[in-house]
Amino acid sequence: MQSELDTPTIVSDVPEISREEFRRRLNDASLTILDVLPAESYAAGHIPRALSLPLHSIASNAPELLPDRSVEIIVYCGKFT
Amino acid sequence: MAQQAVALLHNLGYSNVRDYRGGLADWVDSGGPLESATGEASASDLATPIGPALAVSQDGLAGRGPARISRGRRGNDAIPGFVERLSTFQLFVIWIGAVLLSGFGYWLGALVGEHGLVEGGVPVGASLRGLGSALYFSFVTATSVGYGDIVPVGFARVIAVVEAVAALVVFGAVVAKLISHRQDELVHEIHRVTFDERLDRVQSNLHVVITELLSLTAICEGSTMPSQRLAARLDSAVLLFQGELRTTHDLLYQPRLLVEEGALASILANLSSALEVLAELLACLPVDFSRSQPMEIALGNLIRLAGDICGNCVPHDYTPRLVFWMDRIQVTSRRIR
Repeated sequence: MQSELDTPTIVSDVPEISREEFRRRLNDASLTILDVLPAESYAAGHIPRALSLPLHSIASNAPELLPDRSVEIIVYCGKFT
Repeated sequence: MAQQAVALLHNLGYSNVRDYRGGLADWVDSGGPLESATGEASASDLATPIGPALAVSQDGLAGRGPARISRGRRGNDAIPGFVERLSTFQLFVIWIGAVLLSGFGYWLGALVGEHGLVEGGVPVGASLRGLGSALYFSFVTATSVGYGDIVPVGFARVIAVVEAVAALVVFGAVVAKLISHRQDELVHEIHRVTFDERLDRVQSNLHVVITELLSLTAICEGSTMPSQRLAARLDSAVLLFQGELRTTHDLLYQPRLLVEEGALASILANLSSALEVLAELLACLPVDFSRSQPMEIALGNLIRLAGDICGNCVPHDYTPRLVFWMDRIQVTSRRIR
């Protein structure tokens, strides 16, 4: 987590998914769900079907985990930051 | 954090990435299902709220109140789903109902002749007295006592067989239910006690770590001790520290577990000051001080774990006091080199 706590960078143009749509499409196989929380958190509990990809390992592991770059991806962490 | 992740993925060439803003906190609060590492779903349907129902209330009781654990514990494989949903009392009512219904069955059998009950060679009539005998026979059959003073003939035999089997199964379910309820209580109690003890241990270990680090800092500033011995003591303190930090870290990232506020505040405050003392101590150490391999690894873990702790990234809304300490831990972790 490299973010400076004092200067939070708010990126406003990040596309979002609503909870309702997420719920509805939870079993939609074309949707890839990524849990970017630490691995310990993933082990304790995660949204069904989610893959574990902790934030610090994204750069190194994402290409291997998700070879197809056009796939639809939903990312979540602990809560809105 | 998720926004950073989205940005990172964008840079890697992923074009269709969206952020679920509410994160795990929103998911759990709105009753979404969760999976744990073992792959078991802890809530079977979306309609069952698991978050608020099971989350521990922060009742504002500061200090040493009981830390309650909430887990999505449900499902005993020995009992099928529909029995699971019934209460013990409901099951018992079903049993009684089945017995009474069968009793009427035997009595009605007497109306058709040759298909009812026979007592001492004489057919039981379709009178009120006959109804009493039929109900009596039904209970004797259902409890598999079978005195044999009254026997079924004709079609009544079929009812008797079905009733005996059904009553046995339902009664078994009643007994199983009573026992499993007691077991659930016990398991819950054991969880609670071990959890309390674990928290106590974290607190006392952190205290040891702080004391040890402080005395090492004093020694370092006076430099009266051979650096070899100092290194050994520092090693053990850092390893202990790392272990307790990991426990706290994992505790905070349990989506369904809320620790009682007073206990958590004290742990977080201790963690924060331990980190500060450690940063000071490391800054005081001479330049030629060589860190051991395990110590380097432990320090690396420490920085990573502490860096993960912040009020905004854990999957719960904590009180401002707790958020303050979490943020403080993250900020302090950056001072450790």
